[in-house]
Amino acid sequence: MKFDRRLFINFDWMLLLVVLGISLIGLLNIYSTGFNQVYAKQEFLYVKQIQWIVIGLVFMTAAFCVDYRFISRYAYLIYGCSIVLLVIVFFYGYATRGSQRWILLGGFSFQPSELVKLTLILALAKYFDHHRRNEFYRLRDLAVPFVITLAPFLLILKQPDLGTAMILLIIFFSLILFIGVHWKSLAWSALVGLVLIPAGWFLLKDYQKDRIMTFVNPESDPLGAGYHVIQSIIAIGSGGMTGKGFLKGTQTQLRFLPERHTDFVFSVFAEEWGFLGGMVLLVLFLSLILWGLKIALHARDYNGTLIAVGITALIFWEVVINIGMVLGILPVVGIPLPFLSYGGSSMVVLMTCVGLLMNVSMRRFILQP
Amino acid sequence: MTEIRNQLNGHETSALHRRFKIMLVIVVAALSLLALRMWYLQVIEGEELKQKSENNSIRIRKIKPMRGLIMDTHREVLVDSQCSFDVLFVPGRTRNIQSVFDQLGSLYQDASLNFDREVFTPGRLRPFVPIRLERNVSREKLAIVETHTLDLPGVTVDVVPVRQYLGGEMMAHLIGYTGEISPEELDKDESETYTSGDLIGKSGIEKYLDPYLRGKSGIEQVEINVLGKEVRVLGKEDPEPGYNVVLTIDALLQKVAWEALAGKPGAVVAMDPRDGSVLALVSSPAYDPTLFNGGISQEDWKKLSGDPFHPMEDRAISGQYPPGSTYKMIVAAAALQEGLITPETSFVCNGSYELGNRTYRCWHKGGHGRISLHRAIVQSCDVYFYNVGKLVGVDKLAEYARRFGLGAPTGIDLPREKNGMIPTREWKQMRYKEPWQIGETISLSIGQGYNLVTPLQLVTAYSALANGGVVWRPRLIKQIEAVDGQVIKSFAPERKSVVPVSTGVIEQLKKALWGVVNEEGGTGRAAQRKDADVAGKTGTSQVISLPNNEKTRKSKYIPSRFRDHALFTCFAPVHNPEIAIAVVAENAGHGGSAAAPIARKILDAYFDRKKSPGKKPPVVISDHRMEHQGLLH
Repeated sequence: MKFDRRLFINFDWMLLLVVLGISLIGLLNIYSTGFNQVYAKQEFLYVKQIQWIVIGLVFMTAAFCVDYRFISRYAYLIYGCSIVLLVIVFFYGYATRGSQRWILLGGFSFQPSELVKLTLILALAKYFDHHRRNEFYRLRDLAVPFVITLAPFLLILKQPDLGTAMILLIIFFSLILFIGVHWKSLAWSALVGLVLIPAGWFLLKDYQKDRIMTFVNPESDPLGAGYHVIQSIIAIGSGGMTGKGFLKGTQTQLRFLPERHTDFVFSVFAEEWGFLGGMVLLVLFLSLILWGLKIALHARDYNGTLIAVGITALIFWEVVINIGMVLGILPVVGIPLPFLSYGGSSMVVLMTCVGLLMNVSMRRFILQP
Repeated sequence: MTEIRNQLNGHETSALHRRFKIMLVIVVAALSLLALRMWYLQVIEGEELKQKSENNSIRIRKIKPMRGLIMDTHREVLVDSQCSFDVLFVPGRTRNIQSVFDQLGSLYQDASLNFDREVFTPGRLRPFVPIRLERNVSREKLAIVETHTLDLPGVTVDVVPVRQYLGGEMMAHLIGYTGEISPEELDKDESETYTSGDLIGKSGIEKYLDPYLRGKSGIEQVEINVLGKEVRVLGKEDPEPGYNVVLTIDALLQKVAWEALAGKPGAVVAMDPRDGSVLALVSSPAYDPTLFNGGISQEDWKKLSGDPFHPMEDRAISGQYPPGSTYKMIVAAAALQEGLITPETSFVCNGSYELGNRTYRCWHKGGHGRISLHRAIVQSCDVYFYNVGKLVGVDKLAEYARRFGLGAPTGIDLPREKNGMIPTREWKQMRYKEPWQIGETISLSIGQGYNLVTPLQLVTAYSALANGGVVWRPRLIKQIEAVDGQVIKSFAPERKSVVPVSTGVIEQLKKALWGVVNEEGGTGRAAQRKDADVAGKTGTSQVISLPNNEKTRKSKYIPSRFRDHALFTCFAPVHNPEIAIAVVAENAGHGGSAAAPIARKILDAYFDRKKSPGKKPPVVISDHRMEHQGLLH
């Protein structure tokens, strides 16, 4: 790959600025969650989060340096490797809180299910690029990509990690809606889905059933699963228009809020920075998503478009589902808030995703050699 | 060509644009929905929710569980829990900390409010982390605090279960003690089930069985009004009391052993050779475990850790002593089994043994004359065993010692057990980079030299001899049961190995051990009992000529530190043994005169009670029994 001056000129500074802005807000927020805590290990989470951001930036750079068409050539191989990692987790992974999600890689614990989000997008983008059709796709055309999605979906569901598994399905559906599906096929899928939901209910773990039940009626179990949502709503609401101020969120500092640094980070932020702060964050996310769509629209080729759409869909749905759940309008499933939730794997993978977006963005004018 | 293929045709482009428009609409709609919801919660409902959060309208209170009881083998309660009341203070609930304290002081009507002022230095103050002002307050003070909650913002009362160590010092090492979980322990906690303020076992059984004993905290969710008063309990999850533990320990024997040691440094272990159950496990001197309740004071800690007799050390499982003449049984067993000697083999003892240019003395300066195995054991003739040990050799000796369970942890269910030491040629080469000297084998044959055993290892080895060869893993815990008596886990006796010694040899040795206690000239006659045939062996281990006389060991026993340790180990009745005992009395002189009488007292207690089983054991500690449960409700 020759260096092309246009690569630098076309570098997507806007994308970098938005992502850095959101990550910085996330960092301040994690500092706040650890500020008033008894556990020493929580107090210094923000230091670790800085490490993750730096590592993420390295991966981001790597992801935009190599031409995405080159990466895409190995998309199936990369996807295969990530599935192997999931299988390793299945047999040798270690568990915390009853869920086996992590493997140790050179002293770091790493969550392959996060990585699969990206590799699935790459694999599906390649598949749909190779099997382009001028008319709408029918069910039989979707069999192979569905299997590609189903394999990691089942492995992750077994861990169990309902949230991440669902995200994979959502990525799949977002992409097939984007490429266009025949209405009959859609109707059939919807019908099968409707039949499967009651069947799936029996496959859910008790705590997962609890969460869905408490979503329907949070007051039914104020001490258990509903407690999270009630406290989250109190935290967010009590922030009011301008918030209680940095490090002054009583809900957070009093430890009423559960999972403060992971799934419920947004509640912490909204309590301390109020409606205005929340809006700033939402606008930043909106710009990120719209920017991603713009990149998709102007991509050099169809493969680039599909990659950008997949990544943007991933970020969009994670933001909507996470914030929706802490606001009490969606059931509580463990989905992190991109760039704000504490977590190394999620941060590094998302940064890599953004790197790929930049990749597609800055190569839009370059002819293929 | 590829270029063209990748370009989008006009039809596709317009379709793409349409889809992007749809996506745009979805994105904007979804994020607007979130924004609307935030507007509703933060701006419309904001004031109300702010009120709720300010009042902390819902407050979660942790209810600490009752820790499980610990009982002896006859279900006599050794450790119990009772409630104590602590006064807490949450700095973030008031603006003027000093006025709260002045108020509290005047309500108490004495200004003796003794709290640690250091925690109030600005840097260390965490507004919402409660500070424990006073522990275990009296009922009067409790009433004052409870009735004046309005005048004392931030001051609350916490109900804390406190351990009652009914056995006191005599059980201190065995039972251990509890304390508030430390930040280090919290960091190490992998199960993530402990939270700060929890009680955790710090040593002994309390530590070893902590997961069973601790129980599960309950939660109470209380609605509180603006004035800080509880309005109603919204929900409650009762705490689950910890499981009760039944030990194999016999409190009576424990007490007799403790009293026989009379506070002097030493250790006693008694075991049932039929199944390895530990009947008594005493280390002396000891400490008062209640000192640790609610955190030990600096002063007490200094006193304990600075004591030259090391009261915190559990000598029964981590005291390492040269076995002295008690080791001769291993030497004899090895020699007989290997066919190096027969019971008739005799040597002449004229008071000393020459090897090269060194002289090794027998304890009996006059010498024992020509002597064979049986009498050599009875009279504990050193010269006889110098000869036998030389025949066997260091590595063969080590092999037999190991098979009897010496020189390795026994695997008892207690933390911090020590290994002991059984030397071999290879070990010395590795450790000192020097070859083994034959003279060292000579010292070894009478249990001096590098050899080190713990009292628990010694009793395990003699139990194996007593029961015909089975080495048991010492069994200290009988079972763990729920409050309703349902057995959660029972601990079956565990056979570790069988010693490679024939029954004939074992019988021969047992006969000799019986002679030690009962025959004319035997060294262990102080343990003789008419109605129970006791078999035993004395031992006297030299402190001064220890080759590995490390500095620490030296400085440890400043007074009388050059005196020998007295050892005695025995079992009874000789033909069907029910109890084996090992006694170590530090710096007390001869095994026969200093240690054997201690064993005798324990044997008396054991067999006397057996004779009159209807008699209740003397109230060793107190008469608390099973009725002490669920005190919280």
